Amino acid sequence: MNISAPIVIVLMILGLLGIGIYCLLITRNMIRLVVGLQILAKAAMLALILVGKMRGQPSIGQSMALTVIVADTIIAVIGLALAVQIKRRLGTLDLNDLSTLKG
Amino acid sequence: MLYIIILVGVLICAFQAIISKRLLVTALWLAGTSALVALTFYLLGAYQLAVIELSVGAGLVTVLFVFAINIAGETPIPVTTIIPRALAWIFVILMLGLIGWKIIPDPILATALVKSVDAGFQQTVWFGRQLDSYLQIMIIFAGVLSMLGLLKEEQPTEMLVVEEEK
Amino acid sequence: MAEIYIMLSIGIPWLGAIVVWLIGDRKPKLQHLLAVVFSVLAGASSLLLLSEVGSGTVISIPIGTTYGNFTFVPDGLGVYLAIIATVIGALAVIFSVDYMKGEAQLGRYYAMVLFFIGAMVGLVLTSNLMLMFLFWEITALCSYVLISFYNDDPKAVRGGMKALIITQIGGLGLLLGAIVLFAFSGSFDINVFLANPSVVPANILSVMAFGFLIAAAAKSAQFPFQTWLPDAMEAPTPISALIHAATMVNAGVYLLARFFPAFEGVPGWRLSVMIVGMLSALMAAIMALVSVDLKRVLAYSTVSQLGYMVYAVGAGGFFASQFHLLNHSIFKALLFLSAGAIIHSVGTRDMREMGGLGKKMPFVRTVFLIGSLALAGIPIFNGFWSKELILESGITHGNPIWIYVIMLFVAGLTALYTFRCLWMVFYGEPKQDQHVHSTGTAMKVALAPLALGALTSWLLVGLFGQMLERSLPAHEVHVLGILEMINEVVSAPATWIALAVIALGIMTWYVRNSLQGVAKALHMPAEFARNSFGFEGINDGIITSVQSLGEKLRVTQTGQLNWNIFGILAGLVFLIAVLVIGA
Repeated sequence: MNISAPIVIVLMILGLLGIGIYCLLITRNMIRLVVGLQILAKAAMLALILVGKMRGQPSIGQSMALTVIVADTIIAVIGLALAVQIKRRLGTLDLNDLSTLKG
Repeated sequence: MLYIIILVGVLICAFQAIISKRLLVTALWLAGTSALVALTFYLLGAYQLAVIELSVGAGLVTVLFVFAINIAGETPIPVTTIIPRALAWIFVILMLGLIGWKIIPDPILATALVKSVDAGFQQTVWFGRQLDSYLQIMIIFAGVLSMLGLLKEEQPTEMLVVEEEK
Repeated sequence: MAEIYIMLSIGIPWLGAIVVWLIGDRKPKLQHLLAVVFSVLAGASSLLLLSEVGSGTVISIPIGTTYGNFTFVPDGLGVYLAIIATVIGALAVIFSVDYMKGEAQLGRYYAMVLFFIGAMVGLVLTSNLMLMFLFWEITALCSYVLISFYNDDPKAVRGGMKALIITQIGGLGLLLGAIVLFAFSGSFDINVFLANPSVVPANILSVMAFGFLIAAAAKSAQFPFQTWLPDAMEAPTPISALIHAATMVNAGVYLLARFFPAFEGVPGWRLSVMIVGMLSALMAAIMALVSVDLKRVLAYSTVSQLGYMVYAVGAGGFFASQFHLLNHSIFKALLFLSAGAIIHSVGTRDMREMGGLGKKMPFVRTVFLIGSLALAGIPIFNGFWSKELILESGITHGNPIWIYVIMLFVAGLTALYTFRCLWMVFYGEPKQDQHVHSTGTAMKVALAPLALGALTSWLLVGLFGQMLERSLPAHEVHVLGILEMINEVVSAPATWIALAVIALGIMTWYVRNSLQGVAKALHMPAEFARNSFGFEGINDGIITSVQSLGEKLRVTQTGQLNWNIFGILAGLVFLIAVLVIGA
């Protein structure tokens, strides 16, 4: 079978996207939520780099992917800090117990 | 061929990251995913980004996770999910199907990966898109400030009352 | 050198904001001191910027080739507004030392005031439209935070939200204009655009022009957006003096004045600007006449005077409008700060409970009198000269006469409500249970320079005009020396007509007892005016309908994160489906 390399990368992006979204929908643990966000971010980075390369402007794609790395590291940091604080205040990491935004 | 091996590896690692019961094991599988994705970056020609992703994704974030898990503890949480699993599966497959339907037949993807040259990574990041660098610095500052705010202990309120009475 | 002064003028207040906030609320005296020091330093550095006007230096911070550079140009229009922002800001901060003594959360207050001063300086000095939009939004944010400063008072919070929403709607007009400019000319630079407005095709240019008019009208509380300013009077009075009289509301007039050479050819624009100014002036003057809250009267008066400035810009009298802006900032800040001194002493804002305060607070009475005479347009005070210049520019340049007649009538109304306010507060019989504190030293220190300015700032007209003409090649500035101005104003018949109308206004107040019949006949319109001509009704209607819609949509908020994510992703799937099917 002659599958070209970009198709494989696209399959990788789609796979990571699906796994990340599934994780976000299913999990009840806050730390696993951050894991799901990280996986989604990797999918985004791959997509940016691939598109840049395909369109003949690799450096723009890479600089955008760099911004995504910075932003998603900060998200991981703040998400984990929030999780730790919630564990201290409420005693649980279960998302089901965090329903104060209920209409 | 190499790409297909990496594809399978990434998907297995990511899936195991979600499925495993213990959080520390999840963090390790995530590190594995990051390493394989960094390898993909290298193969796609993003050399600097591969190094950054390896050190940040597989290094920094994993250490953060380990710290957080140690502090927060690993109390077990019931496995029943709020959204029924079947609904989530259907939804995810629907979305992937739609996106794949749109993207995969695109003829540009049939060509092999060629090395294209433009201004170069260094030139673009520091001179072409300088505003991005300023924004990244601002994001990092905002993140650090909010971390400090989040992890601050509550100040005992008796001290304030004593100050006012003086 | 200009780069250093500009960096200092913006950077010192911002640094001061961070420092005062970080010190914490345990040390209020240190916070007061530092805030005063930082604002005075900022005032000094912007005064130093005067020496660099017209040197054409441009400071350019590169942000990559995609968006052009962040540029700052110290031209006359920007520098004098920067001086007003920082100097009156410093005086307001000095005043706050006494006014906010003993209040909680001073860190938030001073940090936001200093942040605002820095942002205002940046707004007027920049020549990159995207950066101007950024500073515009920062001033709107600071205004909102400061109006709702007493955040456990629901009226203050409501006033703040109202101000934020209305000025943000205006901000959309500015953003639209900025994006249009970038789309058609590839750069955000204002001076390049002003030198050659035809890079944008004519119909798009009119879209831009009216977008900017909406932005300016919302920011300066002109018709039909005038309802936020009176409700913003819940803010502490130094904030009302600084933000809502002397600086932020000037941003709208500044925008119109800056872009006038580009838009004056757009059909119908100048007339719309003049009509917006006239309607605001007229409606606000009437509402000031029937109001009993001291700060509301001053707020309506601000709207009315801004209407004069907007009218002058539309009529082509660029120099007259900027001169009136300078004078108005001084005397309106003076009036607001002295009103703050009164309110702080007496404890109420209702004028019916004040009266006969002239004997108990002589200093405040003197400065308030100076401010009121300037506002009413009595000769020798600075308001007189600039108002006459505006009225004159209304007659020339081929503008419609009926608008001029209405503006003349409003001048008389201005005198009438000013004297009414003056009399109700300071003269007449004192009420029974009135306890009056004395005015603090810091308040007097802040008020005295402003009073002096109200007497003398018109003497600067020659230098002011030259500064503007030297550095603004695209605008046509009609420069007058002092003697020429005196000559022109005194010998124009319009001046004597205006003086007669003002005298008529003052007389009307003094013979008001015999005009009781007229007052009764005007009872119905007065009630209508008290409800601000139905605009409050429109606002309430909009708010109620939006809230009821929100109530109905409440069921979708389950409070569980997984369902929220599901909702987001469902929207995404819908979008992708639309893309796939529509392809």
